Amino acid sequence: MSKKDATKKTFDNILLTLEETQEKVGYLPAEFMVELADSLDVPVSDVYGVASFYSFLATRPPGRNVIRICKSLPCHLKDGQTIIDTIEKEIGVKPGRTTPDGRFSFELTNCIGLCDGAPAMLINHNVHVDLTPGKIASILDKYK
Amino acid sequence: MGDITLTMNGAAISGREGMTILEVARENGIDIPTLCYLKELTPIGACRLCVVEVEGSRMLVGSCHTPIAPGMVIQTHSPKVLEVRRVLIELMMASHPDSCIVCEAANCCELRMRATDLEVGLPRFRTRLRYFPLEDENSNIIRDMSKCILCRRCVTACYNTEGKKMFSLAYRGFESKVIYDLDKPVGSDETCRDCDTCISLCPTGALRQPIKFGQRKKGPVLYVKG
Repeated sequence: MSKKDATKKTFDNILLTLEETQEKVGYLPAEFMVELADSLDVPVSDVYGVASFYSFLATRPPGRNVIRICKSLPCHLKDGQTIIDTIEKEIGVKPGRTTPDGRFSFELTNCIGLCDGAPAMLINHNVHVDLTPGKIASILDKYK
Repeated sequence: MGDITLTMNGAAISGREGMTILEVARENGIDIPTLCYLKELTPIGACRLCVVEVEGSRMLVGSCHTPIAPGMVIQTHSPKVLEVRRVLIELMMASHPDSCIVCEAANCCELRMRATDLEVGLPRFRTRLRYFPLEDENSNIIRDMSKCILCRRCVTACYNTEGKKMFSLAYRGFESKVIYDLDKPVGSDETCRDCDTCISLCPTGALRQPIKFGQRKKGPVLYVKG
């Protein structure tokens, strides 16, 4: 698709519109999705279907820092589950939730291309690799 | 519209151009099991139950969406094909709740029927059961998404025959789900006509009509072999 086509909003390039709003607002509000669906003349469930498929698109307001842990195979084999459990204990919420003080959102994501440093995670846009349960507390301390 | 000759299970048969393997097979009395396939609607190709072996093809192909080509050599019931079909059913059964005994659709459940045909017993896999609350607010439809096997028949049928699109697919992987609106329960104010298209096509008990007194259960009785 050429750049020129992308400026015209259709259902085919809906991802661009969603990304734009994600960038601007931080998440995709329900009203926005309803409006977008109306303007494209598609059912809102289709828009939500795309928005919910991608782990970097949020349908709920995120916390100040977003923790994204890889749940794909290489990280799983390198005992990523322990890291997930450790973070869960550390911040006190399960994956998919935001801490009550809004400091952290905790998400599981599909492969983030850091398999060489498995188990890996992203906090906001910062990469943290070769995680061990011992490292978690000091990493999280850096994010307020 | 020329005739195309191909070999199916060792016998030479012919079909017309544009036909799919499944259509040719059914025309020739070969029964390929299907779950998501809907005659005359856009093939979905989601359940993979209709896979067949085509000589020269690296993988098994879905017969419901693969058009025939001259000289194709097809095996519809080879051991390899049957093994794949059984595992597919086993996987579907493993993530399906064990509630047949109280399920309204138990006597006309296509999933159970296919499982019986393929002689699939208790599933070996222990997958996480999908659980969703029952959606029974609407007066025309009850949705129990725990029983859904993601065949997408309801999505396709609503779009193709009714021109509406009540449902879509959302989420990803194990979390995939057929959703309504912004993943809300079908509300009592939904203006969908009570056409029953999706309900009658649902292969399991995931979509059903609210029970009215005096109403009989519909569908053929399932005879369990053996």
